[in-house]
Amino acid sequence: MKRKAILFVALVSLVAFFASANTSTAKEDFAIGESIDNFTMPDPNGKEHSYKDSKGKNGTLIIFLSAQCPVVKQYNDRINEIAENYKEKGINFIGIYSNVTESVEWVKEHSAENYEFLTLIDKDHVFADKLSATRTPEVYYFNAKDILDYHGAIDNDRSGTNITKQFLRTAFNEKLSGQEITQKETKAFGCSIKRNKS
Amino acid sequence: MFRRAFCAVAIYCCLAFGIFAQKPASKPENTSLRSTTPKIVQIDELSIIELLKPNKKPLLVNFWATWCIPCREEFPDLVELDKEYKEKIDFITISLDDLAEIDRDVPKFLNEMKATMPAYLLRTNDENAVIGSISKDWQGGLPFTILYSEIGEVIHTRQGKIKPDIVKAKIDRLTARDHRTKKKPPCSTSGPAKVVIPAETNQ
Repeated sequence: MKRKAILFVALVSLVAFFASANTSTAKEDFAIGESIDNFTMPDPNGKEHSYKDSKGKNGTLIIFLSAQCPVVKQYNDRINEIAENYKEKGINFIGIYSNVTESVEWVKEHSAENYEFLTLIDKDHVFADKLSATRTPEVYYFNAKDILDYHGAIDNDRSGTNITKQFLRTAFNEKLSGQEITQKETKAFGCSIKRNKS
Repeated sequence: MFRRAFCAVAIYCCLAFGIFAQKPASKPENTSLRSTTPKIVQIDELSIIELLKPNKKPLLVNFWATWCIPCREEFPDLVELDKEYKEKIDFITISLDDLAEIDRDVPKFLNEMKATMPAYLLRTNDENAVIGSISKDWQGGLPFTILYSEIGEVIHTRQGKIKPDIVKAKIDRLTARDHRTKKKPPCSTSGPAKVVIPAETNQ
């Protein structure tokens, strides 16, 4: 009887230990220098796309978007302009919709109206959780070797009228000219990604 | 005749005075339509530095925007906090709405919420720099709430909706500490004992 009780306590302790270890791992941010594994997600029309088949030869920009966020709306023209400018230079854009509050139909309409690049639907924000993305617009630049090389904001002024720091363009230009990216991380101001209540 | 006329004029004057004197008092004040929301003051990346310096009291600051759904959802809790701790702390709200909303959606929403805490709108050319300067814990999402002690230590930060019980507990500990540290013993040579509350974030 005593032996069974000891075994039970040991088992409970072990389970508790692993549970806490898993929780702390999940909270850690996806950091600069980490590499991304291949992933597959559907576009708003339901067609599956893989990262491997969608990435650019000089890297890929993952950008978290929202159909309802006013900050994304303010950035849309700039996002499209940068996507177009750098597509020619081998950097592809992939937009990700992770908000649980936005229906597929809504996203489909928003994507078709606003973006020329590939957009994907991140059901139940699994991918946002993987990258620890919390805001829209928030960008992650993975270089040609699939390593996170820049994370954060597009520029330093959401209104677009007084931009003094072009964070994303600067990172791209430095990378494309063979230099190390000077500022690899900035803080993206925007709307929070709406998640399922846990 | 003259006497009668004088009396009539005197009575008329008395009546008229009485009516006019009573008129303002008889009209009920329409308090329901009166805004209690303070005027929203525009600030920039320089003036916010001064604003975030506590003035002999703990300071609670909430960054929000009218377009931010969680910000709107948490506002009733903030108004309650303000009511409960009005005498003990200073509490300000800083909107990150577009400047055009300074006399439109921002006061409209604050008025709906019956929010009376001093309200500001931040207009900056470098949001990234401001966010970074306010707290390392602020990733740029809204709402963001920060509690400073009376000497400017960061006691608590929260990106996302606040948990009122946690904020209240922090304020209670902080104000109890202020009370203890301010109350000097009459013959003390060593001064009050130093109580350290560690800064805690995102709880």
